[in-house]
Amino acid sequence: MLLPVTDSRIVARRADIVAALEAIVPGGVVADKSGLATFDSDALSAYHQMPLVCVLPADRHQVSEILKYAQAEGIPIVPRGAGTSLSGGALPREDGILIGMGRMKRILEIDYENGCVVVEPGVTNLNITKAVEAQGFYYAPDPSSQIACTIGGNVAENSGGLHCLKYGLTTNNLLGVTMVLPGGEIVTLGGKCGAQGGLDLLGLVTGSEGLLGIVVEVVVKILRKAPVTRTLMASFDTVTAAGACVAAIIADGVVPAAMEFMDGRAAAAIESYNQPGYPAGAEAILIIDADGVEADVTHAISRVVAIVAESGGKTVEATDEKQRLRIWSGRKAAFAAMGKLAPDMICMDGTIPRHTLPYVLAEMEKLSQQYGLGFCNVFHAGDGNLHPLIIFDVMKEGEFERAEAFGADILRLCVKVGGVLSGEHGVGIEKRDLMTEMFSEADLDQQHRVKCAFDAQGLFNPGKVFPTLSACVEQGHMHVHGAQMPHPHLPRF
Amino acid sequence: MSAISTQSEIVEFVRAARADRSPFEIVAGGTRRSVGRPLGELPQLDVSGLTGILKYEPEELIITAAPSTPLAEIVATLAARNQRLGFDPADWSQLLGSNGVATLAGSLSSDASGSGRLRHGPARDSLLGFHGVNGQGAAFRAGSKVVKNVTGFDLPKLVCGAFGTLCVLTEVTFRVYPRPSHFAVLALQDVTPETGFAALRKIAQSALEPAGLAYLPGNIAPGMGQGSALIRLEGASKPLEEKIALAHGLLGNAMTRLDGEDPFPAIGSGEKFARVPGDIWRVMIAPSDAPRVARELNAQAWLGDLAGGLLWLAAPSSDAARIRKIAASAQGQAMLLRASAQSRAAHGLYAPQPAALAALNRSVKAAFDPLSLFNPGRL
Repeated sequence: MLLPVTDSRIVARRADIVAALEAIVPGGVVADKSGLATFDSDALSAYHQMPLVCVLPADRHQVSEILKYAQAEGIPIVPRGAGTSLSGGALPREDGILIGMGRMKRILEIDYENGCVVVEPGVTNLNITKAVEAQGFYYAPDPSSQIACTIGGNVAENSGGLHCLKYGLTTNNLLGVTMVLPGGEIVTLGGKCGAQGGLDLLGLVTGSEGLLGIVVEVVVKILRKAPVTRTLMASFDTVTAAGACVAAIIADGVVPAAMEFMDGRAAAAIESYNQPGYPAGAEAILIIDADGVEADVTHAISRVVAIVAESGGKTVEATDEKQRLRIWSGRKAAFAAMGKLAPDMICMDGTIPRHTLPYVLAEMEKLSQQYGLGFCNVFHAGDGNLHPLIIFDVMKEGEFERAEAFGADILRLCVKVGGVLSGEHGVGIEKRDLMTEMFSEADLDQQHRVKCAFDAQGLFNPGKVFPTLSACVEQGHMHVHGAQMPHPHLPRF
Repeated sequence: MSAISTQSEIVEFVRAARADRSPFEIVAGGTRRSVGRPLGELPQLDVSGLTGILKYEPEELIITAAPSTPLAEIVATLAARNQRLGFDPADWSQLLGSNGVATLAGSLSSDASGSGRLRHGPARDSLLGFHGVNGQGAAFRAGSKVVKNVTGFDLPKLVCGAFGTLCVLTEVTFRVYPRPSHFAVLALQDVTPETGFAALRKIAQSALEPAGLAYLPGNIAPGMGQGSALIRLEGASKPLEEKIALAHGLLGNAMTRLDGEDPFPAIGSGEKFARVPGDIWRVMIAPSDAPRVARELNAQAWLGDLAGGLLWLAAPSSDAARIRKIAASAQGQAMLLRASAQSRAAHGLYAPQPAALAALNRSVKAAFDPLSLFNPGRL
C-alpha cells in the first residue's frame, strides 16, 4: 500500500505549527521524537509513520480552534482515539496534525430514565458498561478491543463485536453526537429525543472513519442486561453441515445473542493453546449464546439443539458459568493461538452471504496453497462477518507482500459472492485500494461528493478510504481555495 | 407524465430535467404527497411502475425490492415466512385522507416507523443498501446486501427520512427480523400521564423487549378512565406468558390483558387522529419529559407512543409557533405531519435548524442533487 507523499512545505513550517498548537492547547502538544513515536501507528502496525505533531485537546473549543487553524493553514488532520483501528484509520501523516482525543474522557451524564449515557469521545467502550452495570445496564456493541478502544473511535469506525446480529453495530446504539466540522463549527446531531429535524447526518457520520470531522460528545443507548444467558458448543464433521445449521437456525426465527464459527484449523490451534475443551477432529465448531428472559432462552436453546442434531452436529451445553467462560475463552484467544503458529499474522475482515461459506472456505484453501501461507477462519456466523487470519513471517523475504496479496484476494472473493470488504474493521488505508472492487466510479463519486460537503479542502484523514484523491467538484467546477488546488502534492494512487 | 419502470428511463428523465433546470416531484403511491412543504405545481416523475420483490432470502434475513412495491405486499410476503420489517412501517393513508397505495420507499423516505420500532429501530436501522439516480443523472448504489457492512459511507441512513430530496430510489435492500408467533397487549387503566408514562419507561428499561409502549388519555381511549398505558409484548407462546408475568411483577397486578384487535397499528399510523380536526404533529422528545411536555402542549387530542418519546397531537394551525417553542425547549423536534398547504408552507416539516447545521444539511443535499431538482424544499 502506498502512503501519501509528504508535503515538505508543511514539514518546513513545523516549528510554527507546534507553537501555534501550543498556544491553543498549552501543555497538550507532543512534539518530541520519543513522544511522537507512541503515536506512529494504530493496530494495523505494519504501517507506521511519524506524525508532524500530536495535540491532545481537553475540550471542544480547543478542538474547534485547532481545526480553524489547520484549515486556514491547509494542514491535514488525522483524528485518533485509542489507536486500536485494524485498518489503519488512525495512521498519522508526516505532514499532518494528529489529534488525540484521549484526554476528553469524562462521563458527563448517566440517564437511566431515558436509557442513555452522555460521554466524551475518549471514554473507553468498556467504561461505559462499567459505569452502568451496577444498575443492571450495559452498552451493547462489544468490539474485542473494548477494554482499550474509545467510544469516539467506535463512532468513527461503526464498530461491531460478537453481539451485532441481535443488538446491532455502533450506529444502531447511538442517539446523538456533537461534532466539530473541519471549519471549526460545532454541530449537534440528534440527542436524547432521537430525532434530528433534517437529514440523518448522525447515521452518515457514524462509520465515516474520521473523514468528516471530530466527534466531541456522544449520547449512547444503554440496555438492561438480559437476566439469563446460556452457551452451547456445536461440532460438525463438515463445514457445509455447520453452514447449513447456521442458516437453519436463522430461518427458524432464533436470533442468538452470538453465534461464532471456527474452522477445524482454528479450533485445533486454540485447543492446543488454552484447552477450552473443543472436540478433536471437528471440521467446524459453533459457539452459540442465547440471552433474554428465561423462557425465551429455554425456547431458543431447545430449537438450536434440535437444529444442530438435524444438521448432523453434536452439542455440548455449558453447565455452569465456569464452563461457559471456558468455551468462550477459546474463541477469544483465537488471535493469540494463531500467533503461536507463526511470528506474524494479519486479520482480515469481510462479510459474505452466509450460504456462500462452504464455497468461500474452499476457495480460500486454494488461495492458501497458491500463496504458500497458512490461515484459519473465525467467523461471526450470525451476521456473515468473516475474519480470516493469515499467518506469515515478516523476516522471510516476500512473505508480508504475499500475505497482503492473499488477504486482498480473500476480500475480492467476499465481494464476488455478494459480500463486502469490511464488516467491522473499516476501510482505512488497508482496504482503500480495493474499494473499486466493490464500488463503481459513480458509487465512489457519490460518496466523495458527500465527503466534500463536509470537507471541501480534503484535509480530514486524507489518504484513507478513497482509492483516488481528487479535488472536490461542485456543479462541474473545481472547488479551489486561495487559488491553490487542494493538496497538489498528493499522488492519485 | 406516464409511469416509468426502469432505472435507465429515470436516468434519462433526470438528465433532461437537469438540462432544463426543471425541478420535479417524485411520486409513487402518492399517499404522502401532502407531507412537508408544498412543492407547488411541478412536473411529476411517476415511479409507481417500479414494483416487485427482487430477492427474498429468509435465511439471510434480507429482502431486496423495487421501491414502489406496495408495503402490504412486502409485509404479507415476509409474514408468510414468519418474518417482518424491523421498523414497523406506518401507513399514513387514513390520517392523510389518501386512497393511494403506501409503498416501501414511501415509508422509508418519510421515516414512517410505527410503534414497533421500539424493538429494532426506525427504517434507518434496517435499510442496508439502495440503488438510485442522483441529481447528476448518474445511477449509483450504496451500502450492501449483507447484514453487517462498514465499507464506505453509510449513505442508506441518509435517504431514510429525506423525503425524496437526495435521489430517486430504484432498488432497496432491508434487513428483516423474525416475527414472533404470539403477542399480548396489557393495559394499566385509569392512570394519569405521570403514572402511565412512568410505568411505560419501567418496561422500556426492562429486558422484556417490548414492541409497543403507548399512553392514551381517556378521550382517545374511551372506557379506560382518565387514561391508559398500553404495553405490547411478544414471543413464542411460553416465553410470552413469562414476559407477561414479569411485567405484572414490575408494575403490580393492576394490569388487564386486552382481548381483540391489536390497538397499536392505529396508534403508530396516526389513524387515531384521522377524524380529529386541526393540524397533526409528531413531537419527538426524551421519554422522561413526556408528562411535562404533554401538559405544556395542552392539546385537546393527543397520545404518547414509544414510552413517551413520541407525542402525537392535534392543534389549531395558530398553535404552530407555540408547539415548536415547547418542543425546542425540551430539546425535541416537532414534525408537522398533517396540515393545510398554507400552514405547511409557513411552518415547514421541521423547525429551522441552527445555522451551521442548516448549512451542512444544504451541502449534503447539494452533494446528491446540486441543482435541487428532487422535491425541492420539501424537507
